[in-house]
Amino acid sequence: MKKKLLSLVACAALLAGCGSSNSGGSADTPASGGTTNENGEYVLETLNITVDGTITATVDAGQAEFVQQWEEAVSEKIGHPIKLNITQLDHSDYSGTVSRTLTTGQPGDAGYPDALIMSASMLRQYQTTGLLWNLANAYDNAEFQSRVTLPSINMNLRTADGAQYGFAPTYGNGCVTYIKKGWLDAVGKTVDDIKTFDDYYALLKAFTTEDPDGDGTNKTYGVIAAGFAKLDEAPYINYMPEFWQGAYPSFYPNKDGVWVDGFAEDATIDALKRLNQAYKDGIIDPDTEEAGTKQAREKFFSNDQTTSEGVFTYWAGTWLRTLTDNMNKNEVKNQNGELEELVQLPPIKEIKDTVGGYINREAPTWVITDDGDGNDAREQAIFDALFETMLDGDKVQTLWTYGAEGVHWSTEAEEFTLNKGDAEKEKTYTYEAGQFHLRPNPNDPNSLWKKNHLDAVLVIAPLTNGFVDNDPLIQEGNAFFTANCVDAYPAASSATLTDYEADLAEAKKALVNKAVVGEITPEEAVQQYKDEFGSVSDTIVEELNSAAQ
Amino acid sequence: MSTNENSKVPQNETTWVAPKKTLAQRMKPYMGFYLMFLPVFIFVLIVYYWPMLGVRYAFYTYKLRDIHFIGLGNFAKLFAEKEFWSAFVNTLILSVGKLLLNTFVAVIISVFLNEMLNLFCKKFVQTIIYLPHFMSWAVVAAIFTLFLSTSSTGFVNETLKSWGWIKQSIDFLHSKALWRPIFYMIDLWKETGWGTVVFFATLSGIDPGLYEAAELDGATRLQKIRYVTMPALSNTIIIVLILNLAKVLNIFEPVFVLYNTRVLEVSDVISTYIYRKTFLTAIPDYGYTTAVGLFKSLVGMVLMLASDYASKRIRGRGIM
Repeated sequence: MKKKLLSLVACAALLAGCGSSNSGGSADTPASGGTTNENGEYVLETLNITVDGTITATVDAGQAEFVQQWEEAVSEKIGHPIKLNITQLDHSDYSGTVSRTLTTGQPGDAGYPDALIMSASMLRQYQTTGLLWNLANAYDNAEFQSRVTLPSINMNLRTADGAQYGFAPTYGNGCVTYIKKGWLDAVGKTVDDIKTFDDYYALLKAFTTEDPDGDGTNKTYGVIAAGFAKLDEAPYINYMPEFWQGAYPSFYPNKDGVWVDGFAEDATIDALKRLNQAYKDGIIDPDTEEAGTKQAREKFFSNDQTTSEGVFTYWAGTWLRTLTDNMNKNEVKNQNGELEELVQLPPIKEIKDTVGGYINREAPTWVITDDGDGNDAREQAIFDALFETMLDGDKVQTLWTYGAEGVHWSTEAEEFTLNKGDAEKEKTYTYEAGQFHLRPNPNDPNSLWKKNHLDAVLVIAPLTNGFVDNDPLIQEGNAFFTANCVDAYPAASSATLTDYEADLAEAKKALVNKAVVGEITPEEAVQQYKDEFGSVSDTIVEELNSAAQ
Repeated sequence: MSTNENSKVPQNETTWVAPKKTLAQRMKPYMGFYLMFLPVFIFVLIVYYWPMLGVRYAFYTYKLRDIHFIGLGNFAKLFAEKEFWSAFVNTLILSVGKLLLNTFVAVIISVFLNEMLNLFCKKFVQTIIYLPHFMSWAVVAAIFTLFLSTSSTGFVNETLKSWGWIKQSIDFLHSKALWRPIFYMIDLWKETGWGTVVFFATLSGIDPGLYEAAELDGATRLQKIRYVTMPALSNTIIIVLILNLAKVLNIFEPVFVLYNTRVLEVSDVISTYIYRKTFLTAIPDYGYTTAVGLFKSLVGMVLMLASDYASKRIRGRGIM
């Protein structure tokens, strides 16, 4: 019996022990590193980067060619060979995997990143941990400084004491509200008719009750989104701005610069009331409650429009092209049998020029991990090889912007046809030698490649080689957003918030969902939040305001 | 080899005392076997026992590079956490509930199948009820979420509405009152068929002579089930219950793919609690989640010992 007991204790320990051994990085990725040359200079030979899904040149879509061309171009620029290893993580669990990687490894380990992408929220959480390198000096002295057109983007990342742990090569971008034009026509409205929340609400109602798809039933909905609010990711309200209006369900600095908890404010109650009414009226697709972004957008451009929605708020610019392409691919047509189009809704009166409208989120950043040896040689070498070249205005920036030459884009004379054999969609593209153009998407040969990591329109230091993708739809989308956006609140960062962020997001999501579907009233939702997290919220607000002073 | 030497036992066994051999001496004749076992032994040490060292972090704070010993601090926090106890109770309710339900329904179906005379029909039904077992929980959840959706794509609600039975869609998977019954139902649909395998095997092994004797005694079909089939199955039922009792705390996947924030109070189990605290927290405290894992393992161990004890009492032999 004793032996059995011992072996059971061992088993129990094994189970628990297994739970604690986590590794987020790829075991196949070699250790990064460099050497010191005869002049005593640090020479970075291998660069490991960890990225999310915003690098669209994935392993299935020409990443090998991208890496090869990057290595050639950067080796030439920095004067010695360098190898690039990319670990591309699952986009939906990016922050979790990064956390595990940074917990279990250290610089020099296989799979441990030298540099990685972090959202603004992640940056705020990690910048106080000592794991990230303060790149303020490197940024100030970077070669690309002379070409930076939007200096405020990176200056806003600096802490009160002037440290800068993230580098934002672009500004943040945000979401705008798209409406199916065919559905607008079907209910006899134009986008110019939608000026106020009441107009917007009436439109959603019409999409729900007036059979905009013409199938003879009323199974359509006004709007769908990835959640009634995205409470675990700033800026939280960007997928349903018309309903949230001035409410901000998280910590933000008010007009006096004082940090407050927006979820506890009356504005949140008002927003929940609007959402609850819309849910009761059946104009919000109930799938909104559990939908992720993929599910929401796929239902929006689904080939079965009989249960689809007329309005969808999603990312501006390139996504206008992507949503349109996907609708065309699915042969979504209006009632006249023509391919459906999207129109962009200018911000309604209640959200125009307010944070609550089309929010330009805080820019996603790149960070460099600090090896903590007190010597900046390694980190500066990473900055020079990666960030400095990323905005060189020329060859390397083109790689990050459009992808690999000959795979994603070309300047050679060529002709190709997309959707061959489809009389309605077939289109032939002809280019002369020297003319920059994007090539067919390696993942979908019937659509054109759009971009790689950097958005040419959003970048803080534009390309100087004249390579411009002239897709009018993307340009229209970007121009529309730029004309109508407002900057997001800065992400909050405090020790208590880091500890409770997941709990707060989970509780808020549950309360919002319950209030919207009518399980509890909006007032009860906010009160329950105050009852459960009031003291935590007070502590966070106190910490935020202390840090701001 | 050594058998011949050992056979030279002196006639007077009471006075002869065998010289005590050292471990090395005892191992020497089997050195070949030990050498063959060595790679496996090393493998087991590295793969199974090495990770056990991680259990020490249950007594540490382990957040990024902040790793320091805090004694029983994680356990104190754990026991004070309302959310944890809710998950603990839910684990027992959901696991034990589904164990009892699955076993009960599997027994009924097995008996029913056993009574079925048409072989083709019997095989056909068996195949049909086994199939869901081979679907992943992710797929099962996707199917039922779509089926039970309140959106116009939801088959069940739209059908009930078209029949005029309901006016408002029923939010099956978001209702605290309905979530557990729906969970049990989906679990029954998926796993009961497979659960009949053991019972059906037992039923196949029942001596036909017993049924013939019962028939000669004038037993009806129901009486044969009552007095022959059920007593023959009872031992198997107990064994199945005992063996599964030891695993009740391990429930994760079916809950994880079916639960949502609105029904956390009735659906959150220990494993999903650990998952959320570890994987959905920006900078998790691995020490805390290791402590939760260790506690779960210890309770599991108690259940296993209880099962072993019960098995010994009922079957005359343990399960370990």
